[in-house]
Amino acid sequence: MASSMATPADSSTTVVYEQAVARSPFGSLRRTRRFYDLVASVVVALVVIYAMAPIVWTVLTSFKTEKQIVTANFTWVPTSVTFDNYVTLWRRSGYPHLLMNSAIVTAMTVAMSLVIGTIAAYSISRYRFYGRNGLMIFYLVIRMFPFTLLLIPLFIMLRNLGLFDTHFGLALTYTTFLLPLCVWMLKGFFDGIPPDLEEASRVDGSTRLGALVRIVLPLARQGIAATTVFIAIGAWNEYVWALLLTTANGARTWPVGLQLMVGEFQMPWGVLSASGIISIIPIIIGFAIVQRALVSGLMAGGVKG
Amino acid sequence: MGEQATTQNLSATPQTRDRTSSSNALVSLIEGRAWAYLLLIPSLILVAAVVVYPVLDGIWLSFHEYRLNRPALGQPWIGLEHYREMSSDPVVRRALKNTVIWVTVGSISQFILGMITALALHRSLRGFRLASVLVLIPWLLPSVVSANMWRLMLDSRLGVVNEILGRLGLIGSGHAWFTDPSTALYEVLAVELWKNFAFFTLFFLAGLYAIPSEYYEASSVDGSGAWQRFRDITIPMLMPVIVGAMILRVIGLFNSPDILLILTGGGPGHATETLSLYGFQTAYLRFDFGYAAALSVLAMFCLMAFTVVYVRVSGVTKE
Repeated sequence: MASSMATPADSSTTVVYEQAVARSPFGSLRRTRRFYDLVASVVVALVVIYAMAPIVWTVLTSFKTEKQIVTANFTWVPTSVTFDNYVTLWRRSGYPHLLMNSAIVTAMTVAMSLVIGTIAAYSISRYRFYGRNGLMIFYLVIRMFPFTLLLIPLFIMLRNLGLFDTHFGLALTYTTFLLPLCVWMLKGFFDGIPPDLEEASRVDGSTRLGALVRIVLPLARQGIAATTVFIAIGAWNEYVWALLLTTANGARTWPVGLQLMVGEFQMPWGVLSASGIISIIPIIIGFAIVQRALVSGLMAGGVKG
Repeated sequence: MGEQATTQNLSATPQTRDRTSSSNALVSLIEGRAWAYLLLIPSLILVAAVVVYPVLDGIWLSFHEYRLNRPALGQPWIGLEHYREMSSDPVVRRALKNTVIWVTVGSISQFILGMITALALHRSLRGFRLASVLVLIPWLLPSVVSANMWRLMLDSRLGVVNEILGRLGLIGSGHAWFTDPSTALYEVLAVELWKNFAFFTLFFLAGLYAIPSEYYEASSVDGSGAWQRFRDITIPMLMPVIVGAMILRVIGLFNSPDILLILTGGGPGHATETLSLYGFQTAYLRFDFGYAAALSVLAMFCLMAFTVVYVRVSGVTKE
């Protein structure tokens, strides 16, 4: 039983979230344990249905014809699958362009946050210096600034710099909330790598940065992948900032475009559902790939402090 | 070891070993310091540019008249005029009240469902690993898609929810959601619950796994029941996680009006207006940047006041 305790030191990517999968339940009596297992199963089943139902419904809707959606006889499951909505979306709405804009902004945000965040997180993880704790707390406190307080001056700043409605300008403002998150997560992952390895490499004549690139980064690759995906999701999903900082002529991203497609009357629900599904596919794939490391990284970034 | 073990396991971040024990400690210390600051410079410059400067500029702006759609006006200094205007603005009062409801009901409802889900998933039966991934998905989805998924399901004519509730005879045909001022806020909160309860599940489940099972076994031997174990072991051991997750969620609720903006835009009337939403709309729809900045400063003080009180009351300053 003692072995079931989480072992903190082995790796930062230890999957705390699901660590005790193998641990036997702690019930005192077999029968009460069975009862609680039954209750747990029912609860989990209901919550999974609750969480997934809107997504499943949207997928179903995206494969329905407009007739099946707008009908007196309610259609639960499409009787015939149509890809018309996806075709319409792709051909007509300029959606591919919006997706491309989002992809560029996301890539820029990830690149900036990751390069700058990596060296900052490495510094905080490896050195003890004056103001270190204060700095980490400051990175947390940033979340507490109301976004409008930041957004309005950033809008003015971007206009003055000629960066308004550009990919780079939008990506720059996204680092406001994503860089601190990036630093917190990466610091957690770097903390999990024993410094002895770098020392050995430095004895062999490697520089600090050489050790970072050759030793630490490869060892932290899972954590870095998780951080990348989380930042990418944040930038990819963002709506309110893009609404104010972009226009149709420039860097407008897909969430803004999707929302503007929602007319007041006669919603094109089939096409809307298709665009929703297309836009969330990258999120689901990315999350599926890095799910384990992501969860432990969020824990390290969020709970401490 | 109790609490220490918890945080340690949760974060999986063992402290770096003290490096000063090497023979030329002083040299490495000096070299180290220089490097430490050097590596931080890019991030500090970026944060100064996109966080510190905007915050200061925003506060500065709140003392000025600044309307984007009337550039001829310039940016005259008007002192506390915006703040005076705010104190007599009925929408601000409404927004403050709504913000309290939005944050309180939102965080508590998400906490409860998140906790129940985490406790159930913690039994680690077959298929629960997949389930724990699936329940996280709403939390990762963009609010634009989430909100519109629900708008589709809650559509008065075509919505599946109305179809089901109508058949059960719970609502009349053509019931329109988000239109009754007295219930609209709670209806959006229901969507918000779906979107974000898993945030708590994520943290609580990780926290639960970090509690040594021996504690429960010992307690079982003593003959205590499930509720007693929950109260005497689970809750105290989870406390650091609960406190941390709660404040992040409160900030999240307070600060992100996306779902409200998409589903109701603050309406009907101002029934679902919150402080952050009002601030955003004042800038985005009325181009009144000065007043929007003042509203944001008010929001900042609200959040700071809450945080200070919360940290005092919950006593998490130990960390």
